[in-house]
Amino acid sequence: MRVTANTFPNSLLQQLNSLSQRQNKLQNQAATGQRVQLPEDDPVAMHRVLDLQAEGKAVNQYQRNIARLQEVATDSFTSIKALKTVSDRAREISISADGLKSQDELNIFANEVTQLIKRAVHTVNAKNQGDYLFSGTLSDQAAYVMTTDANGNVTGVTYQGNTTLAESEIASGVTLGPYTIGENNSGSGPRGLITDNRVGADFFNHLISLQNNLLAGNVAAIETTDRANLSQDEDNFLYHLGTNGAIQSRLETTNAIADQRTDTLEVLVSKEADADLAETLVRLNQTQTAYQAALQSAGKILGSSLLDYLR
Amino acid sequence: MLGLFGTLSMANRSLQTQRAGTEVAGHNLANVNTPGYSRQRVDIDTSIAIPSEMGPQGTGADAVGIQQIRDVLLDRQIVTETSVRGAYEAKQKALQLGQAALGQQIDRQATGAAGSAAASGIGGQHGIAEEMSDLFNAFRGLAASATSMPARQEVIKTAQDLATQFNQVSTRLANLRTSLNDSLASDVAQANLALSDIAKLNEQIVAVEIGTPAKANDLRDARQKRIEDLAKLVNITTTANPNGSVDIAIDGVPLVVGPIVQDTLETYDAGGGQFLVRTVTGGTTLNLTGGTMQGTIDARDNDLTTLQTSIDTLAATLISEVNTVHGAGFGRNGTSGEAFFTGATAADIGVNTNLANDPWMIQAGGVAGAPGDNTVAVQLGQLADVNHAALSNQTFQENYGQSVAALGQALNGTNTQLTNQQLVENMLLRQRDSVSGVSLDEEMTDLIKFQRAFEASAKLIVTVDELLQTVLSLKR
Repeated sequence: MRVTANTFPNSLLQQLNSLSQRQNKLQNQAATGQRVQLPEDDPVAMHRVLDLQAEGKAVNQYQRNIARLQEVATDSFTSIKALKTVSDRAREISISADGLKSQDELNIFANEVTQLIKRAVHTVNAKNQGDYLFSGTLSDQAAYVMTTDANGNVTGVTYQGNTTLAESEIASGVTLGPYTIGENNSGSGPRGLITDNRVGADFFNHLISLQNNLLAGNVAAIETTDRANLSQDEDNFLYHLGTNGAIQSRLETTNAIADQRTDTLEVLVSKEADADLAETLVRLNQTQTAYQAALQSAGKILGSSLLDYLR
Repeated sequence: MLGLFGTLSMANRSLQTQRAGTEVAGHNLANVNTPGYSRQRVDIDTSIAIPSEMGPQGTGADAVGIQQIRDVLLDRQIVTETSVRGAYEAKQKALQLGQAALGQQIDRQATGAAGSAAASGIGGQHGIAEEMSDLFNAFRGLAASATSMPARQEVIKTAQDLATQFNQVSTRLANLRTSLNDSLASDVAQANLALSDIAKLNEQIVAVEIGTPAKANDLRDARQKRIEDLAKLVNITTTANPNGSVDIAIDGVPLVVGPIVQDTLETYDAGGGQFLVRTVTGGTTLNLTGGTMQGTIDARDNDLTTLQTSIDTLAATLISEVNTVHGAGFGRNGTSGEAFFTGATAADIGVNTNLANDPWMIQAGGVAGAPGDNTVAVQLGQLADVNHAALSNQTFQENYGQSVAALGQALNGTNTQLTNQQLVENMLLRQRDSVSGVSLDEEMTDLIKFQRAFEASAKLIVTVDELLQTVLSLKR
């Protein structure tokens, strides 16, 4: 092939251009650690990475939701446990209040029960981030309001919430509600914490009955009715404590699965988008060597001419 | 016999012949870096022999012409391949601009708000994908904290970000379409100029070559260069005429016939801002199959239009689906029936200002008067996982990912094709350079060759002069 004056410069320019492009690409990969950055780099990988990253962000959001629900579940657990303590004391009083006690002693018990009712109302009206925990979805209203007579004795405690439980997504297509409602006498739906006619739970009315029977000295009614009623309330609290524990356990399990999924997604995204640094740097080195070789050889060839030898 | 005066005359012609050789070598050297220049050679023939007693006797040599070293086959192939490369280059440029307009890229080092780590090392995405992901996550977050004002503000903020992103992409794609139309008009203007130049050069070539076997070499070089310039803009058919002129036709329509420009090109709006190319006088719409004009039209009417349509469909489906679910819900203050998004396409999507001004109006609840009810917020979050019929039974994210991948594939394919095409064209150019290019070594050698021959011819004159003086001195 005949080599002319422009053959060398043109070929050299093409070679240097090609090597510069390769160096630029490899340097970019080394600096960012990414093999795929733009859609044109690898369209199929780009598509997969976009989907994987969207899933990863959703998993992170589910974990934030789980953290929020765990907070609600923990607060609910604390309140239910406190109610159980109230229930335990009320049961003790109902057992202690036998025929051997004087009316003065029964009055002291009655006063304690009144205080227990007030404590329970305060407990069941617990809030989390401004929302009442046991009002169902009527979360801006206190779950219970209490009425008292002139002597300070509790005459009634009324539920103000509803029977709807709010649930949130904790995984794709999976919802869970950590809330507990105060009352459900509809015969269906979630079980009420204080009152539920399916299991005979009606904690406040049972406490009021105990308070009134103590004040009236009606020990027989306490023995025959109140004690059994309070026992049903206690069972109901135990049920809710168990349910809450199960919810917390489920949230923890789901969170652990989300952690694993995040790790898996990281590996998958890395496989698709990340550059193999060792390979990238070796290839960058090769390209740089080739670039230098091209410059050096071209410098020698272009520098020599027949003109150097003609006088 | 020539005799002394005949020999003197021969030496004189020899000087002229060698000087012509020197001049051609000098012309070649001067044009060593001229684009489109083909090397020239002086054609030297022996002069007509005269009869003598010894038989036909040579009378020296004459420069009979200057020949251009050119391979017509290579020239034609280069014209064809230049058209193909022009089309790929224009398409690549348009698609790269489309890719930039979309603004979608993966950033594995991305950080979240206030420099916090991004989603557990999976990195960020930048672009519609990220904003869309953020919106649905904000809906999910709202479901977990339906009565939280910050959660509602987050929904509004992410929705506004997404709407702005849609608006910007749509505007950039629309601007790109306008720019491509401008580029097409500019190409047409350049093509018309090239057509005019080629016709003028045809006229000059015919005028120079008429009645003589000599070729207008430099004019032919200039014309070939203009033909290649034109071929880069639009695919052409060339027909060489016996008188030295070349006719140019596009899509079978003759535009240059000899020295006359029979028709020129113009762009016209075929409807909806779809500018195409037609001839001015004949009004014939041209079906272009190569050149930058075709590459621009191809990218604009296929890949970029598909991208814009898919982004619009995505935005329209998002607006419709979110509004349907949101409209059935109830705000914290009991409002219902409010749209979440306004607008109908990516160009005009926006967030309902009533909601933006009062985030309590976001209808997250399924019933009125129950602030803790999050039924609608949950449904809004779950929309992200629903396959939508309007999006070919894909989720929003899958559909967008497919649009991005489609553009990426088009650009990736064009990059590969252009690289291959450049290799082909470079090979042809190297071959042409090998045939027609000027070699400094050759020209310098020729220069020495002609210089020495010139010196020898001069020596002949000196010798004949001495002989004549000898003859003249005989009389003394």
